[in-house]
Amino acid sequence: MSETVLAVERLTKHFVETVALDEVTLALRAHEVLGLVGENGSGKSTLLKILGGVVRPDSGRILVRGQAVQFSGVADAIASGIGMVYQEQSLVPNITVAENILLGQEGSAVRWGWYNWKQLRQQASIALHQLGLDIDPMARTESLSFAERQMVEIAKVLFLENRRHVAPIILLDEPTSVLESKEIDTLFGQIRRLREVGSVVFVSHRLGEVLDVSDRIYVLRNGRCVGEREAKQSRHDDLYEMMIGRSPGQSYYHEESRLPFDEGRPVLSLDGLSARKRYSDVSFEIHAGEVLALTGLIGSGCESVCRTIFGAEPFERGLMRLEGVKISPGSPADAVAMGIGYVPAERRIEGVVGGMNVAANMILADPGVAARRGLLDFRRWRTLVAGWIERLRIKPASPRADVTALSGGNQQKVVLAKWLLRSNLKVLLLDHPARGLDVGAKTEVYALIRRLAQQGLAVLLLADSIDEAIGLSHSVVVMRDGLVSGRFSASPGRKPLEAEIIKCMT
Amino acid sequence: MTEAGRPPETGSPLRTRLRRRARRSNLGARAGPLIALLGLAGAVSIGHPLFLSAYGLNTLASAASVIMLLAAGQFLPISIGSIDLSMGALTAFGTVLLALWLPHLGPLAVPAMLIAIAAAGLLNGLIIVAFQMPSFIATVGTLGLWSGVSLVVSSASAVSVTGGYRVIAWLNGNIDRVPVSFLFAIVVMTVLGGVLTLTPVGRLALYAVGLAEPAAQMSGVRVAIVKVLCFAAAGLFSGLTALVLVAQDISGDPTSANSLLLPSIAAVVVGGNAITGGTGGMSRVLIGALIITVVQNGIGVMGINPFYEQIVYGVILVAAAGLTLDRSAIGVLK
Amino acid sequence: MAARLQSLGATGARFLSDQAPLLALLGIVIGLTIATPSFLSARNLVVVGTEASVLLVAAVGQTFVILLGSIDLSTEGVMATSSMVVALLVANDRTHLSLGAAGILLTVAVGGGFGLVNGTVHAVGRIPSFMVTLGTWYVGIGIATVLFAGQTPVIQSALTTGLAQTRVLGVPPLVFIAAVSAAIGIVLLNWTRFGRYILTIGGNEQLAQLAGVPVTRYKILAFSLAGAMNALAGILATAEIGNGSVTVGTGMVFATIASVVVGGTPLTGGRGGIWNTVIGVLILTSIADGMILAGTGPQIQQSVQGAVVVIAVAASSWALRKRLRVVK
Repeated sequence: MSETVLAVERLTKHFVETVALDEVTLALRAHEVLGLVGENGSGKSTLLKILGGVVRPDSGRILVRGQAVQFSGVADAIASGIGMVYQEQSLVPNITVAENILLGQEGSAVRWGWYNWKQLRQQASIALHQLGLDIDPMARTESLSFAERQMVEIAKVLFLENRRHVAPIILLDEPTSVLESKEIDTLFGQIRRLREVGSVVFVSHRLGEVLDVSDRIYVLRNGRCVGEREAKQSRHDDLYEMMIGRSPGQSYYHEESRLPFDEGRPVLSLDGLSARKRYSDVSFEIHAGEVLALTGLIGSGCESVCRTIFGAEPFERGLMRLEGVKISPGSPADAVAMGIGYVPAERRIEGVVGGMNVAANMILADPGVAARRGLLDFRRWRTLVAGWIERLRIKPASPRADVTALSGGNQQKVVLAKWLLRSNLKVLLLDHPARGLDVGAKTEVYALIRRLAQQGLAVLLLADSIDEAIGLSHSVVVMRDGLVSGRFSASPGRKPLEAEIIKCMT
Repeated sequence: MTEAGRPPETGSPLRTRLRRRARRSNLGARAGPLIALLGLAGAVSIGHPLFLSAYGLNTLASAASVIMLLAAGQFLPISIGSIDLSMGALTAFGTVLLALWLPHLGPLAVPAMLIAIAAAGLLNGLIIVAFQMPSFIATVGTLGLWSGVSLVVSSASAVSVTGGYRVIAWLNGNIDRVPVSFLFAIVVMTVLGGVLTLTPVGRLALYAVGLAEPAAQMSGVRVAIVKVLCFAAAGLFSGLTALVLVAQDISGDPTSANSLLLPSIAAVVVGGNAITGGTGGMSRVLIGALIITVVQNGIGVMGINPFYEQIVYGVILVAAAGLTLDRSAIGVLK
Repeated sequence: MAARLQSLGATGARFLSDQAPLLALLGIVIGLTIATPSFLSARNLVVVGTEASVLLVAAVGQTFVILLGSIDLSTEGVMATSSMVVALLVANDRTHLSLGAAGILLTVAVGGGFGLVNGTVHAVGRIPSFMVTLGTWYVGIGIATVLFAGQTPVIQSALTTGLAQTRVLGVPPLVFIAAVSAAIGIVLLNWTRFGRYILTIGGNEQLAQLAGVPVTRYKILAFSLAGAMNALAGILATAEIGNGSVTVGTGMVFATIASVVVGGTPLTGGRGGIWNTVIGVLILTSIADGMILAGTGPQIQQSVQGAVVVIAVAASSWALRKRLRVVK
């Protein structure tokens, strides 16, 4: 029975309105590769960040080799032997590989401010050789391929651990999402090597890979640890079921108010839309009154397609049609003029203007509705805003309040009102609209989405969970690695199984 | 909140919210500069009672009109989070053009100069938007460009108005002992203030771009047009300032640029408008302009070495900018 | 075979774009020599060399600041103050001081002090660098004006004026001073922690901070160095004219920024270096000299340099344009 090198007990973490981790308990053994799987929002990223010292837990214990520890920052975690390799690269692009590996810890390679390049190269080489890498330590970091840079990231963590003279614990956050298959094999070789000197925690949404390289697996769902399996004895279907759990029930998504849509009137249609490195050959249609859920994991291209429709990103090939007319919005302003609205995922940055009040935020997309002959008509504006506050039940009901003083759910309602009061709105793009909201706010938002469809809008939904996608939509289009991998109809009584959808996603 | 593993960010959303609320306690931002203005004016007049006499006020008002117009123009680029470092040079160029053209074009010289200078401002805006260039670099470049052109066109010396002065002489007069130039500046600022509070572009789009440009973009605001308009308007105001200057000095001066830029920026920030943009308005610009005028004239009246003026401006500028800065709005400080 | 040709072509294109500034310089020199044969005369080259030297010293300091991703607009102010200070410290016709070499060193230290203030107010006070250095620009001019006090101090120190007016190996000593400054700059950037960390901070400041690099400290050091270099440039320019002058640095802000950018160091920092700046300085002084030889007045210099700044920055950042990029 090998020793436990890292354990967490009843780890809990709340963010402003959601519970990210709920009393999670798990253990990592020496010389083992542990896989963490779960849907978007299951808490696996948060758990990793806590282990890496990036985020602090609200309650619970972390034990490293039996000793309880508290990390006040990344440096503390490193001091305990834990190093995290981020999904988004953390190498400074314009300096040499060796400098990146030794950054901040140059030690004897730099004496009195003078760089002894030979020593730098030597020390970096040690870490690189440990991984069997053939990379020149003196190469400029940005000249390396993405995969090579990822290896250097791992080498960097190893170098830091070597200094500590303890068996390293390496945390890998979605390392394969941008690698090609040959590079993935190389990475797995590294991971197996690492297992000989220490332990690895491997997070990925690609179930096949996780099973391939891990010894044991934990499954997370909604911030809870719902299962532990030996990798060799796991079946995909079994794991999928654990990842998804049971549906919260029909009324959560207001199924009863779902109306069928008119099949004959496509409002928005995409035909072979392609943009290099983001998505390729994407085609689908959204009709008036239809909610279409575009689903996929991070990096699948869903967000990019959505932003392309809104003119925030360009596309290279293919066609977009709005009510039959070819369109090519060069900017969000173009898209808005055409009748397309967008509720962004990053509400605080792209959704509301912090520092302006609710009333101002509400008419930002169409100030003309509150204006007469070029000047603002304050009475009309007041009436309009009061109307929407009541209709959407925005609390607090004060139009003069700074929008940032409202809760996330109410802010989201302001954003929705902003688009709804536009007279020519035809398509509404919802980018993770319920993200970060508490249960009560979520169900209100869902009800609103239903109403939008009822009123004849074409709605594109990027859902936070497969649950949400199936519950709210009339149709589901699944994307994986930039391509459309599945289409399902989701009318009541003919719903797809979640397992079917997840298979298309991973 | 993003899912992907990323190196940590600083500051929690709650803290940002609180900080924003604290910063906008209107009373503090409005009262402070006003108190400073009254205090400064009072302090000078204690030693020199004539400072605030009828004649003294008249002098102050005339001087103030120049700073008011310049600061009103500078407010626009600042309100979107940018800056226009070429305003002084544009004003100087405007005075030279007007002085050269009045004798030959008569009344037409005024609109001709205004159009020319506004076009230069438009050029600033186009460069900034087309090349996505930081405003301080673009306008530092045009600062050099127009300074050189001014020097060449004026042969590096002041240009007297040898004819046609009648066209603008009225600006140098008084109505009931109040300088016409001051009234002119008040009217212009009132019009701009009206645009900023009563029009959709002024009240909403402009401040949105200053406070949260990504959100403005994603709400369909035509940010590029807002930016170009701001710099074109700044150019126009530089031209209006030139108009008043030529009326007061009866000549055009290519070197006046150096002494005009800093007061314009200082007036905007000292009045309580955040240097990062998104807040404030004409009332604060007015108070700031008056403070700068009192400082400028007070130094002379109190017998302080006028050479210290530049030092004072430099210090005021940096201090005021530091105090009004919204640090949560800047990601990484360069 | 086709693939090899293609990769050769790609390497060729990259070589051309990397060496573009050097090629531009060669092109300009050749063009000017054809237009005005006196360009390559020994006398003219000395003139060009002298002008280039003063600019190079200031530009070396500016390079370090720009590599950080910041900017130093206080060049002219620091040069003005240092011009007055050195004129009053070494043998002159106004004060009884005659500090000679010590006076020169003291003046450089004063410049370093300016830079220290710049860096500290920026890094610790968290005020954007263009704002802080804009303020110090005026403060510097103001201090110089106060020291001027209505009477130009004429330098009587042979040591000081000798920097510009004597000849060693056919060129004034200040050319050697400039060359040494550039050499020191190159050494700093390639072999010292100061230089490497400056590049790192310019490459990605957040990551540098996370890795434990004391970013604030190095920012302050970089600005201090720039201040000292600006002062040295002011001293050299003062040696040329023989008296203290408030306007000694006129136009230097554009010239230094233009030199750095034209030489291939982008304003966003992290890339480029001193050698790039040397080429940029030579390009700018050649153009300026060529214009003078062709008979255009000195006033238009400022215009040309301003335009060069805009064009150089526009060209070098053309590829960075993105649809929703936010640039203030």
